Amino acid sequence: MIAYIVRRTLYGGVTVLGVLVFLFVLFFSVTTPDDIARRALGEKAPPEALAQWKVNHGYDKPALWNPGRPADTLLVEHFRRMLTFDFGRSDADDTPIADRLRRGVGPSLCLTVPLFVIGLALGIALALFVAFFRETYIDRAGVFVCVLAMSISMLLYIIGAQYLVGKLLRWFPISGFDASPDVLLRFLALPLLVGILSGEGSSVRFYRTVFVEEMSRDYVRTARAKGCSDGRIMWHHVLRNAAIPILTNVIIAIPFLFTGSILLESFFGIPGLGSVTVDAINGNDFATLRTMVYIGSLLFVAGQILTDISYVLVDPRVRLQ
Amino acid sequence: MGRYGRYATAGLAYLLGALFACTNDPYPSADAERKILYEAFSDPPRTLDPQVAYTTSASAVIGNICDTLLEYHYLERPFTLIPGLALEVPAAEYRTDGQVAYRFVLRPELLYQDDPSFRLGARGSITRRVVATDVAFALARIADPAVNSPVIETFAKIVGFREFTERLEARREGDPTFARLPVHEQYAAAGAIRGIRIGGTTEIEIVLVEPYPQILYWFAMPFTAPVPWEAVAYYDGQEGREHFADHPVGAGPFRLALYDKQARMVLERNDNWYGLRHPEWDAPGATYPRAGTAEDADAGRLDPAAVGRSLPFIERIEFRREKEAIPAFTKFLQGYYDASGIVRESFDRIVRDDHLSPEMTALGMRLDKSVTPAVYYLGFNMDDAIVGAPAGERGRKLRQAMSLAIDAREFTRLFINGRGIPAQSPLPPGIFGYDPAYANPYRVVDLARAAELLREAGYPKGIDPRTGKPLRLTFDTGDTSARALLTFQFHVRAWKLLGLDVEIAATNYNQFQDKVRKGAYQIFQWGWVADYPDPENFLFLLHGPMGRTRSGGPNTANFSDPRYDELFLAMKSRENDARRREIIDQMLALLERERPWIELFHPEDYVLSHGWLRNVKPIGLSLPTAKYWDLDVTRRAALRMAWNRPIRWPAYVLALATVALVLPGVVVYLRERRR
Repeated sequence: MIAYIVRRTLYGGVTVLGVLVFLFVLFFSVTTPDDIARRALGEKAPPEALAQWKVNHGYDKPALWNPGRPADTLLVEHFRRMLTFDFGRSDADDTPIADRLRRGVGPSLCLTVPLFVIGLALGIALALFVAFFRETYIDRAGVFVCVLAMSISMLLYIIGAQYLVGKLLRWFPISGFDASPDVLLRFLALPLLVGILSGEGSSVRFYRTVFVEEMSRDYVRTARAKGCSDGRIMWHHVLRNAAIPILTNVIIAIPFLFTGSILLESFFGIPGLGSVTVDAINGNDFATLRTMVYIGSLLFVAGQILTDISYVLVDPRVRLQ
Repeated sequence: MGRYGRYATAGLAYLLGALFACTNDPYPSADAERKILYEAFSDPPRTLDPQVAYTTSASAVIGNICDTLLEYHYLERPFTLIPGLALEVPAAEYRTDGQVAYRFVLRPELLYQDDPSFRLGARGSITRRVVATDVAFALARIADPAVNSPVIETFAKIVGFREFTERLEARREGDPTFARLPVHEQYAAAGAIRGIRIGGTTEIEIVLVEPYPQILYWFAMPFTAPVPWEAVAYYDGQEGREHFADHPVGAGPFRLALYDKQARMVLERNDNWYGLRHPEWDAPGATYPRAGTAEDADAGRLDPAAVGRSLPFIERIEFRREKEAIPAFTKFLQGYYDASGIVRESFDRIVRDDHLSPEMTALGMRLDKSVTPAVYYLGFNMDDAIVGAPAGERGRKLRQAMSLAIDAREFTRLFINGRGIPAQSPLPPGIFGYDPAYANPYRVVDLARAAELLREAGYPKGIDPRTGKPLRLTFDTGDTSARALLTFQFHVRAWKLLGLDVEIAATNYNQFQDKVRKGAYQIFQWGWVADYPDPENFLFLLHGPMGRTRSGGPNTANFSDPRYDELFLAMKSRENDARRREIIDQMLALLERERPWIELFHPEDYVLSHGWLRNVKPIGLSLPTAKYWDLDVTRRAALRMAWNRPIRWPAYVLALATVALVLPGVVVYLRERRR
């Protein structure tokens, strides 16, 4: 298994390097250091100030090739910074990017962890419930609602919930964030509600399919014949045997809890890492954007490897070679 | 009850509890009756370094923290300067060698806000006096290339300013030990800027190489606000300390208490501020004005309860980040923000016939309008062979004809809800030289006259005689958004009525900039928001040496006319007098005929505020005004409560409906299974 993990890690490393190359090429094909400087200093900044800004931020170097000093290029600097985790400072406002990550990860986790836990628990519970009543109107209605829920755009959920729950019913603040314990929950309520509602359709439908398939297996009939209660069959037998497909879905998502939810954070004004990413895109902040993409790609690779390992842990029949 | 049952019961109880306790109030209830001003911001400030910050969002914060030597009178229009930290507005002292000096005298006993950085200067100290060398330090920071101040060129008019920059750079490059010294020591070792002379602790003289009366306006901006060297040295980003750009220290009415730029910024009243410590001074910058315009009296801004009182009235300002405009506006309507702009989507609901709608008036809201010192225009590249100066009289008549086709009033109505007044010249209202009676003969819609001018230009009915087809021109832009393209289509359609074929060449911003650098463009749309309320800050946009293609300056039209340039030089260094007015009139007459621009509109600032917020006057410039505002917090708390009672019954209906739908199925199914 160790050889497998090493091999997967190496493949992952190559993937991450490829992502960094693509990021560099794509970013500088749509923008230039001059534009980044102009965004940072404002439209009225004179050419002298723009030139000085580029010097101060290392954007005065050639992009790919510097005949006298081959190592002194934007591309080399880009790789050096990422591979040594020296993220530097934001192009937009000079904030150290590591500080921004530290500040952003808390609000992101405040949203994504409950969203993940509640969403998972509720998804599994609802799927078990619907699967238990399969071929009844509850099952059919459940599937219909799931398909309906997964067909609606996340944006519609957000705008609808802000209008209905925040504006008309006035249950929760329409947007915003405050980490003080006495008001934190009221800010998280609406984004959590939207996140759960928008995600449950596909989750419940997927888990239901898995459970229904498991429920048709022989061991379920045997357990029932031995007098096992329905609850015990569902919770102890079906749920455990359905673990592999559920794990595939779940473990790969865990690393991304740290990067936040771009849409929810943006629309609800939660200052997490998803929001940082959107700001970096809008603000032409290459330094921050490449950091976020780099971290995202590392987490993706980590998620893949963790998923593979988890197969072995839950199913002794699986061997990684 | 089993374990799961207990969990389920607990969860249900929590949810029911949460539902009963639910509220949309985003603030702690303890703050309900405190004089806290709540404002929304969308883009966080890039920096709060007073010598660097150049955006509206930064000004809203830094302007309250760093008091300046001069300020603008809050109510009087046209804008007039009043003393701030300085005892009076200095008069220019013209010298025989052509140089001009301004001598500022600081108020005695001014103190900075409390801050741990002052321990660097004196052990145990948490504040200190504001002294004249702090102003010199701020100016030296502007000259320092490492600070990257965007106004370095403006201050190069100070004698010895550039030399200081060069000396500093040379020392840093040549001596690594020097480069590691704290910046204030570097500045001292590099030698003072010759044109900045300090007299004692409160006097500072600024000597300019040539007359530049507008320099005084720059002393009403945070760029020149005194800065303590201790704060710059202490907040260096090392060992867990913040950067100075995130922790400004000043001598203003407020201090920065919390700075989480992604979410929230909090300013608390600065008890060291001279207005609070010395109300007996009755200082103009620390006292609510006793006089204003007739409109101010009508709008209740000269309320005897406020007039002559010491500022500030509010104890805290909270800025909360709202990335999206609609949620921010909804929260304003719910009473959770005290003032707001008006989102386009709700404009017709809020404003009817240019006044506040009856529904909003009934809620006690108020609408204040003011024309922003800004101008939006269509420009011609005067270097172009067809529309520019090389085409001579033909090009001039073409530009005049095209100007006569654009309906600015309709443009503002369609695209900015009418929030703008049609521009007749580059000068907006409130700026010296603006004449409300002036009507530019080329800024009316007159298609017949335009057709005649086109014929005289050699393009009858818009036909280019060389090709026999409509004259083809390009409208160049760096904005590819759908909304922007719609606005450009408006102009293209207007010119099509003259028979001209104008093609929109929309590229990304960089490609557009590249075209501008190379001079490969014909027509464009641009805007300018003034830094200070002086005609020079508008008319320099057409000064020949400022040509964008030639020098990278702000004259994007590349307009170059020796007579205009001569008049500009004569106008820019004069005080506001009759001769200056005369020169401006000549310049406007020249622009009227030459038409390097088609002036579109001067935008209007609409500020919507709740009735509990008092003394609001839109100012147009990026200046802090919160110290003049007051709040009736009792009324605010009562109205917020009345407007935001949660409606709970849909939750009960939803829960009952779910149970009613699911329960029969469960019961029937279980009964069947038991059989």
